[in-house]
Amino acid sequence: MRRSLTALVLAAAAVLATTASGHSRENLTIGITQYPSTLNPMIDSMLAKSYVLATAYRQITIEGHDWQPMCQLCTALPTIENGLAEPFPSQAEDGTPITGVRKTYTLRDDAFWGDGTPVTTDDVLFAWEVGKHPETGVDTVKAYQDVLDIEVHSPKRFTIVARKLDYRYPSMGDFQVLPAHLERPSFAAPREYRNRTLYQTDPTNPGLWNGPYRVAEVRVGSHIALARNAEWRGPAPAFERLVVRAIENTSALEANLLSGAIDMVAGEAGLSLDQALAFEKRHGDRYQVIYQPGLIYEHLDVMLDNPILADLRVRRALLHAIDREAISQRLFAGKQLAANSFVNPLDWVHTTEGVPTYPYDPLRAKALLEEAGWVLGPDGVRWNTYSQRLSVSLMTTAGNRTRELVQQVLADYWKRIGIETRIVNEPARVFFGETVSKRKFPGLAMFAWLSAPESLPRTTLHSEGIPTEQNNWGGQNYTGFRNAEMDRLIDATEIELDREKRGRLWADIQRLYATELPVLPLYFRADSYILPTWLQGVRPTGHKYTTTNWIEDWRVVE
Amino acid sequence: MRATLATWVAGGLLAVLAMAAVTAPLAELAMGLDAQAVDLFSRLQPPSPAHPLGTDELGRDLLLRLLYGGQVSLAVGLAAAVVASAIGTGIGLAAGYLGGRVDAVLMRVADGVIALPLLPLLIVLAAVDLTKLGFPPDAAQSELTAIARLVILVSLVGWPVTARLVRAATLSLRRREFVEAARALGFSPLRIALRHVLPNAAAPILVATTLAVGNVVLFESVLSFLGLGIRPPTPSWGNMLTGAQELIWEDPRLAIWPGLLIFLTVVSVNLLGDALRDALDPRALTRR
Amino acid sequence: MLGYLVGRLLQALTVLLLLSAATYGLLGLMPGDPIDLMSGANPDITPADIARLKALHGLDQPIWSRYLAWVSAALQGDFGYSRLYAQPVLDIVADRLPVTLMLIGVSLVVALAIAFPAAMFAARNPGGLADRAINLVCFAGISVPPFWLALLLIILFAVILGWLPAGGMASTGGEASTLDRLRHLILPVATLTAATVAAYTRHLRAALIEVLSEDYVRTARAKGLSEHRVMTRHALRNALLPVVTLLGLDFGALVSGALITETMFAQLGMGKMIYDAIMGNDYNLALVGLLVAAGATLLGSLLADLAYARLDPRISYRADGGS
Repeated sequence: MRRSLTALVLAAAAVLATTASGHSRENLTIGITQYPSTLNPMIDSMLAKSYVLATAYRQITIEGHDWQPMCQLCTALPTIENGLAEPFPSQAEDGTPITGVRKTYTLRDDAFWGDGTPVTTDDVLFAWEVGKHPETGVDTVKAYQDVLDIEVHSPKRFTIVARKLDYRYPSMGDFQVLPAHLERPSFAAPREYRNRTLYQTDPTNPGLWNGPYRVAEVRVGSHIALARNAEWRGPAPAFERLVVRAIENTSALEANLLSGAIDMVAGEAGLSLDQALAFEKRHGDRYQVIYQPGLIYEHLDVMLDNPILADLRVRRALLHAIDREAISQRLFAGKQLAANSFVNPLDWVHTTEGVPTYPYDPLRAKALLEEAGWVLGPDGVRWNTYSQRLSVSLMTTAGNRTRELVQQVLADYWKRIGIETRIVNEPARVFFGETVSKRKFPGLAMFAWLSAPESLPRTTLHSEGIPTEQNNWGGQNYTGFRNAEMDRLIDATEIELDREKRGRLWADIQRLYATELPVLPLYFRADSYILPTWLQGVRPTGHKYTTTNWIEDWRVVE
Repeated sequence: MRATLATWVAGGLLAVLAMAAVTAPLAELAMGLDAQAVDLFSRLQPPSPAHPLGTDELGRDLLLRLLYGGQVSLAVGLAAAVVASAIGTGIGLAAGYLGGRVDAVLMRVADGVIALPLLPLLIVLAAVDLTKLGFPPDAAQSELTAIARLVILVSLVGWPVTARLVRAATLSLRRREFVEAARALGFSPLRIALRHVLPNAAAPILVATTLAVGNVVLFESVLSFLGLGIRPPTPSWGNMLTGAQELIWEDPRLAIWPGLLIFLTVVSVNLLGDALRDALDPRALTRR
Repeated sequence: MLGYLVGRLLQALTVLLLLSAATYGLLGLMPGDPIDLMSGANPDITPADIARLKALHGLDQPIWSRYLAWVSAALQGDFGYSRLYAQPVLDIVADRLPVTLMLIGVSLVVALAIAFPAAMFAARNPGGLADRAINLVCFAGISVPPFWLALLLIILFAVILGWLPAGGMASTGGEASTLDRLRHLILPVATLTAATVAAYTRHLRAALIEVLSEDYVRTARAKGLSEHRVMTRHALRNALLPVVTLLGLDFGALVSGALITETMFAQLGMGKMIYDAIMGNDYNLALVGLLVAAGATLLGSLLADLAYARLDPRISYRADGGS
């Protein structure tokens, strides 16, 4: 008994003595809160996947730091002005005549797959074939199905014949190229493609990758290691090896960072803002923390079928009653901009001109409620002449701590002007899958939209997007907002190619939105990037294209 | 006699905790504060005369929140542990004493309940709209309903542990001389089970019940995470502890207090359980 | 004996079949599938996309027909592909199960290795100083939620002292040695052990105190046997029933229930796999994972029942209680 105890102690000491090996600047280990489900660029879009992929896989066009489209694998964006794009008469799917566009791209000469095969028009054609096939499982098939034809001029030059000319035409959108020379056999049975693709069965095959890195090791659920891609002809990246580690619990993620197990936390899927703020307070000297306000728009969807909330005065009073500036300053150290509409101030179409704002003004809020017939009762809650109580339900996703905190702050503000708030929270899948998508929330629903720069609110504000039983609950106009002027503006903006005119239409949309308030804007969420002080060149964009799209610019500075 | 002293201390402690929780509204009145009033300008304040334990991440008084949290945690913890044990004891006794097919069916049901995937079950339950089941909207959203729902949920998934413990004890006891003697005297099986077997199985039952109290208090926070527990802004010790997780570096105080109260509850309940077992032990008289 | 085992096996199969149906039904009843969740955050997704994706993953079929299709394929040994990981389900389970068994195995052994001496020590003099100290440690063990304990352990041993890795299964890069794997196991095992060891100690202690007051133990003492001998030879064997029961229960429960520990320490075990599969409506993976866990539960309870009969000769499994 005693002897085994000694042995145990000795073994423990031996185990403890072998501490982690010394750290070198040749490797970079990145912590992230999600593990990507598949590495195939086309299937299941998710943030963690975009993050890892961008280090090893590049697409034809993306959006840059200026929130404008830019080339990754191509040499120039086609525009009507430079003659590479050309409108032609086309037909919508239902046969109505519309304007289409033919646009010509040239792939870069120095774009190669990791096995030395050049990226060619073959890969573009193959990707189109895969992407438009209904059984492949691409989530937004539009980028492929709106392509009527692809005309090949040379191994590097091709013309896309697109069904519809809209303001986004210079970009290829979510069109992803695939290495035809490797992937074609996997596509023999399209339904099986998602299971048979080499990105899944043989992810370390260098020929699948055309970026600065290639995938070198995959441990599903735990980490992905990447090594330098020998066939990358662009600027050489700084690190020999990248490891992206998934740690879902953010407190554990933070502890991993402090213990040196990871070097940095990706802002795209990392710590919550208040965690990052607290972290900076304590370790600001050893790490750099970058806050990037982004396109995640936190808001309250209003159920416009609810007679209490259908009254515009009540919606305005709700907004006047809350001090969004104080919430932003106190809870988020001023890093999250209060929103006045769904358009981010960083977006070029954003305007403040003529857009009504609703600053914190409890007196005004009370006056609006009085005007709407809501009189303060003895219990501190307002009643109307029909003996209705001014009671509103506020729902959100249970377990999202930040939302639950803000929710309680809102309820407290409203209580002060005589509005009773009933908090009802549900797990995300019930909330999104049932309550919101089938318009079952009785009052206010708090959640966020993740959008792209200059993204038209067709599905969320156009009256054709109201989910009903008839349209099988399609569409995301959950509030039930029906406004002919808004419908007209959205339709007009989509096909307006003139930037200046489009800007004016966008301003009208924002004014109408802030006047009618189908949605109560709260703020734009900020991502927090926690980086070692010796790492430079990580520049967040604020939209869906991640910092890793520029990983070759990351530098070690001692 | 030392055990008696410990018992008194434990009982007193539990009584104080319960009293404090029940009188939370009075404390609120006496302190001139509103337990739910948010004050963004005094977040995470250290203790001060106005806030004896300081404030939480929304500037609310921590002491008041702990008192209100006690209402939920103590009620749910004690009630659910007792109900689950009662169900478990009944089923365990029946299975162990009757044996054979009854035993097989009951124990396979117990296995099934243990193996039943809790997560999808809870998510399905979270989607059930109580108002559609005929509850008036006010009752469906009241705090009492929420507590009752928690107690029912926890009891329904928690009984198999006690059931298996009681069954194991019963299997061993039913062949003992005093049980055989009772049977020979022609007592009914129910009487034998309750009067002769049950008191001798008290030890595992009480240990399991008192251990469960702590588990239930913590389990409540998991349910809150799924929207099935207590709704904000009502606090409970469990979800205060969960919420404090992200503030572990910034303000560990927010975790220490609810954690300490859960610990004190667990200590007092377990010591009371030990005392109760001594009192119920049929052999205790001869021992003294 | 053989008859009894065959009976139990048949019962187990019935329970598994019922559970698979119940599980499938529950998964189907959960509102909101992953496609709905996708559309809930991405305004670019069109109703046509949603309908197409649902059809592709078979989510538009009625639940019973999907279940029947699953059962008939499973009976032919085809458990299908995981929707989440796009890999054969059995490959994933084969990858995850050993990790979990290792975690459970080590932590149960450690828990017993601590609980036995502690309980014996405590029961020798109930109410004494040692008893009280051991009790207090037990109470602390069950008062701390596992996620907190995990976090505190990581902070102490990985951040402050820097002795142990904060998480993961092995160091990345380089060959994974046994020593390396062991180092990664210490904190997760400690977290898992804390909760079980308290329950074992408390139950064993209570049972020992009870047994020590029985006549035959007093007889043994009166015969002049040493206290150690009395404890190990006579008392312990009869006090094992509750511990064996709990062991049987824990074995099954931990296969799927080590979720928090696995998440906090980034261990790729069954608990995390089942959780992700359920949340992602990955029917094939969730079902197989849950059935493996259910199988472990049934096995645990069978082993416990067999152990009872060995420990206590009075126990038999015949229906004769009431007669």
